[in-house]
Amino acid sequence: MSDAATHEEEEEVERRKKWRHRVVIIGAYKSALLSSKEPEVCYLFLTTMATQRVLPQSKETLLQNYNKRLKDDIRSILDNFTEIIKTAKIEDETQVSRPTQAEQDHYEMHVRAANIVRAGESLMKLVSDLKQFLILNDFPSVNDAISLQNQQLRSLQEECDKKLTSLRDEIAIDLYELEEEYYSSSYSLWDSTDLPLCEAYRRQDSWASPGSSCSSTPGDREDVDGPPSQETNPQHHLNGHSAASIEKP
Amino acid sequence: MANERLRALEDVEKEIAMILQCAGNIVLELSKDKHNASLLDRQLVQFQSSVNRVENELSGQIRYLTQVATGQPHEGSTYSARKDCQMALNRAEYAKVKLGELGRTCEVMLEQPQT
Repeated sequence: MSDAATHEEEEEVERRKKWRHRVVIIGAYKSALLSSKEPEVCYLFLTTMATQRVLPQSKETLLQNYNKRLKDDIRSILDNFTEIIKTAKIEDETQVSRPTQAEQDHYEMHVRAANIVRAGESLMKLVSDLKQFLILNDFPSVNDAISLQNQQLRSLQEECDKKLTSLRDEIAIDLYELEEEYYSSSYSLWDSTDLPLCEAYRRQDSWASPGSSCSSTPGDREDVDGPPSQETNPQHHLNGHSAASIEKP
Repeated sequence: MANERLRALEDVEKEIAMILQCAGNIVLELSKDKHNASLLDRQLVQFQSSVNRVENELSGQIRYLTQVATGQPHEGSTYSARKDCQMALNRAEYAKVKLGELGRTCEVMLEQPQT
């Protein structure tokens, strides 16, 4: 007991030494990084820390391992099942007494059945590993999945933008009429520098064809130096235009 | 394509469960005084066919992975398309909010008594 206790204590001391050593290394790396004098030192510490980890297996050894596991598990299932069936055969002449033989056969069948179940569970684990490997490394299917997803997302984006564009066109028409109505009413307050949409369109038309007379609706006359309106109406900002006063006819 | 392979592996899992069930049924039948020979034959045939199917399917998958796997990580992503789609949905949401405000403004104006 005392030997076991001292052995455990020695192991604990070793573990603590290794841990302290690692802490010292990490501390030295941190100070080297902060000082940034010796980048090679940082790289050396990094690689030292990296090599202490276990390197991942290459894909060939991993797949060979999968093959081996598959063969072993299938063979285990078949062999153990065959042996169970053989053990089930009743023999007349035995070297030991019947109860002893029965007990032995019972125990053997129990162990072989447990082996079959273990092999079955190992096969399930193998299938799980294969699924994971397939998801991560089956590049053709990953590429297909990515391109399909990209296609779906792009089509959704195009549909969204197309609907927004048509909505914009419809609203522009309605907004034109709304602005015309608003700025010709008594509620609007606007200045000459900030044109409503309908007026801007009219001016654009008149600039495009200077020979044609530009018509303006009543109440929509531009009055740059006119006095401000008597009414104190709330200012409504439509389309971001700031409102200013107009003089009623 | 990926879904088909994953579905095949799920079927393999069901076959493995079927193997264990058949083995158990056979042993259970053998433990009885009077055996049902036809049941035993059926279960045995199913057991053997399941074992063969599992072995062939898993070997095929491992062979396919041997040809296809490179050991390098895949660096494709759908991030850019997803981001563009998200921005489009944000635009639609913003337009909806602004239209809602415009609608409320018009309603307020209509509800106000005409002076």
